[in-house]
Amino acid sequence: MSKTYRSMRPFEICMVVVATGLVGMSMTACENRALKPRQDLNGTLRQSASSHREPSLGQLWLVTLSNRQGRERIELIDLRNRRPVPLPGLNRPDAQPISVSVSADGERLAVVQQHADQTELLLYRRSLGSVQRLELNPKGVPRQVSLNGSGRILAVQVSRDGRWDVDLIRLPG
Amino acid sequence: MERAPGGLLQRSQQDPAISGNGERLAVIVDQRGRPTVQLRDLRNGKILPLRHFSRHQPHSSPSLSWNGRYLALITQRGNRRLAIIEDRLSGKAHPLPLPGGRDPVRLSLSPDARQIALQVADQGQWRVEIFDLSQTLESDRPGGLRQSTPSTELQR
Repeated sequence: MSKTYRSMRPFEICMVVVATGLVGMSMTACENRALKPRQDLNGTLRQSASSHREPSLGQLWLVTLSNRQGRERIELIDLRNRRPVPLPGLNRPDAQPISVSVSADGERLAVVQQHADQTELLLYRRSLGSVQRLELNPKGVPRQVSLNGSGRILAVQVSRDGRWDVDLIRLPG
Repeated sequence: MERAPGGLLQRSQQDPAISGNGERLAVIVDQRGRPTVQLRDLRNGKILPLRHFSRHQPHSSPSLSWNGRYLALITQRGNRRLAIIEDRLSGKAHPLPLPGGRDPVRLSLSPDARQIALQVADQGQWRVEIFDLSQTLESDRPGGLRQSTPSTELQR
């Protein structure tokens, strides 16, 4: 039943080429299967604000800096229902957030923000609605934050004496 | 408060990412003028080997899973940016080309490595998109339960 290419008509050869191409395309798709978009969530994100940046994922939480009507604010989204969670006391109208990181359970947020000509490092505890300012020692200007899963260890990039350091801060329970 | 291990001797360190369990720290350091990712064990300060991240600088936006099994990172390939995840247990690299040929700017891996968030530019705006990795990576949960046989040791 099998034929060599030489004995095939042009149409048959074409069909073989198309079939080979389809196999190739499906293989490419398999290689790219790593990136399967969460369409439901991405649609919600696209509608909720004009832009989002600086993502940080917890286990069931996503925090970003989102821009609505020209103002950037910290937005925490519950990935289970795709809804933003209220963050009372965190987003001040006179502050500009720079970097944010969330603990695995979504309870703690570490924030770097610009406020009144100062760059501040903050810890926000959601269940308490409390904002705690963290002091750097020696002094420096914070830039980028990363919280560990429990929210008890904070890594922060700090500008100090003309260079970038990374400080580790153990936070109270 | 403490400084990252090697901080006083180390050249500039940027873009920190701490693992979920708090035992690993990835930073971007200047290596002969090339921003390069470096992974440390915070328990003893030792630099941990990485198989796939000695080239394709500049590196940016590292992110670690719970036990530090997975390190996600943005690398440079020609004039394109490409997110890659290194599985430190199996030694495999997982390149993550974005649909539509877009370039990632920042990323964040979920603690269990089941999802990744990528920041991209789209029609002049920053967007964050979430992608499911559950069909690609084993999860990396607290306690470090391993589901497959490793080809390399995670901790060396």
